[in-house]
Amino acid sequence: MASESTIRQPFDFAAEQLSTEQRGLWEQAFRRLIRNRLAFAAGLLLGVLVILSLGAEFLPAIQRHDPIIQDYGITNQGPSMTHWLGTDILGRDMWARLLQGTLFSLKIGLGTQVIILLIGISVGMSAALAGHKSDSILMWLTDLAYAFPDLLAIIMMRQMLFGRDWPIIGKGDPQIPGLPSALLATILAISFVSWVTVARLVRGQMLSIKEQDYVLAARSIGASPWRVVRVHMLPNTLSTVIVAVTFGIPLAIFAEAALSFIGLGVPPPDASLGSLISDGYDNLYSNNLLVVWPAIMVAVLMLSFTFLGDGLRDALDPRTRK
Amino acid sequence: MLAYAIRRVLLIIPLIWAVATITFFLMHGIEGGPFDSDKPLSETARARLNERYDLDGSLPSQYGNYLWNLAHGDLGISVSNDRDITDIIRERLPISAQLGICAFLFACTFGLTLGAVAAINQNGVGDYIGVFLATAGAALPSFVLAPLLVITFALKLNWFDVLGWELWNYHKMVLPTISLGLLPAAFIARISRASMLDILRQDYIRTARSKGLTEVGVVVRHAVKNALIPVLTVLGPIFAGLVTGSFIVERAFAIPGLGTTFVNSVLIRDYGLIMGVTLFFAILIAVMNLIVDLLYAVADPRIRL
Repeated sequence: MASESTIRQPFDFAAEQLSTEQRGLWEQAFRRLIRNRLAFAAGLLLGVLVILSLGAEFLPAIQRHDPIIQDYGITNQGPSMTHWLGTDILGRDMWARLLQGTLFSLKIGLGTQVIILLIGISVGMSAALAGHKSDSILMWLTDLAYAFPDLLAIIMMRQMLFGRDWPIIGKGDPQIPGLPSALLATILAISFVSWVTVARLVRGQMLSIKEQDYVLAARSIGASPWRVVRVHMLPNTLSTVIVAVTFGIPLAIFAEAALSFIGLGVPPPDASLGSLISDGYDNLYSNNLLVVWPAIMVAVLMLSFTFLGDGLRDALDPRTRK
Repeated sequence: MLAYAIRRVLLIIPLIWAVATITFFLMHGIEGGPFDSDKPLSETARARLNERYDLDGSLPSQYGNYLWNLAHGDLGISVSNDRDITDIIRERLPISAQLGICAFLFACTFGLTLGAVAAINQNGVGDYIGVFLATAGAALPSFVLAPLLVITFALKLNWFDVLGWELWNYHKMVLPTISLGLLPAAFIARISRASMLDILRQDYIRTARSKGLTEVGVVVRHAVKNALIPVLTVLGPIFAGLVTGSFIVERAFAIPGLGTTFVNSVLIRDYGLIMGVTLFFAILIAVMNLIVDLLYAVADPRIRL
């Protein structure tokens, strides 16, 4: 018994130390996030919306009706027990269409952030670490991006990517299941225009971390440059990046909805929140509830992500702790 | 400062070049051309149209021609209605400018008041209302706000008109102005609240109070003036936001301004018009940013350019 503990103790001790330390950081942040009631409620609401809209895609019990099947016998109905949110001018069930639109918006929000992260982190990192020339190229690019009205650029980029049968994006049938080519074109267009913010953030963080003592310490004990970046520098940019991503999601949802609103969204009969608002707006006189549901949903999504982002920022940055 | 201003003005030129280049190639990457329609044109007709609108020749030579004409201030003619693009912009601009200026004034007055009231009542009822409005305003994009406002105030209450824009006719002015201006107002409210809170703790505010100035006098004469400086720094993004917001608000209220022109020109691939409007917006934003930076230096003597 005694001999066993003496043998195992050093190993266990180290492992435990490491794991509690790592859990400590994230657990603390999580606790702080939960204590922020608004952020917690926003996160909960978003979770419910994700489950509902994903569930609707696969479970008819949630979706209840087909979002694209038209029934001219029941056009423009108000909310009822069979059609919870009523029907639109072509007799399609609004509940099903709203959930489909929400799922599209969530896919846009998350999809853009994945691509923005890939581009933003690699460009930001190389700008900070690869010397002056690459740094000034990035700075010039970001200046340009800030001067260019972004929605203008997104509109043109989306038009260029859509309907031209590019690899991956395709034309007509979706190349990637669940991502129609119009949706993918929009995701890419938004990402290609808005990655600069993340790149700039990562660059700034990396530049300041590069000068920190712990990086100097790691380098002086002979850690390879790649290890310093991977183990010490990247994880320390993580909290900034997470917050940027949370704020980036509502911006992407906004951009897609704006594009759909001016007629550059997913082609009918599919519905995104923006095209639902656009359709509802065109039929304002015959049934003004049609525009209200998707408008409320966009507002709820954007508010929730904003509150969650605020909460995450406070939770992840120990300096703002009161 | 003059040297700085001149350098900044000169820097706009490479910016125009870069925007023109990017726009040119993006635009020509869009599937189809301006003369594609359901009824195909004969080869000769197409060739003559291409010649008329400078669309013949290789892409690089078109690009060269375009830059050459641009350097002479010539934006070309629109494919869709055969008019000078400068004329189209000149005709559509006043409407968009009126809308933008109204929204801007609304955003400044509403945002600043909200921010100041919130800061003075820190953690009081006024603060909660202010912060709530600022956060909610930031989450209500114009295409969400516009339909909700129209339903409530135009269809149900019948206070305002559903469509259109006319200066000095409040039936047509209020809803587009609020739809476009609320987002920047929320932005300004957040910034001005933070800067007011900071300033109300400064020594010179205590001095002003201790020399017997009324609270209103302190706030209006000393605090608000200084709280304006950080707000100046966000005016650049706010102008850009008003430009992009105008696409949506003009579509929502059927206002024939520049935003509508741009969206239509993309849909029908009117290359010249897309380029013209994009360049115009880019220059506008660059000039606004320059003015804001210079104003910043004028307003805050501690900043030297």
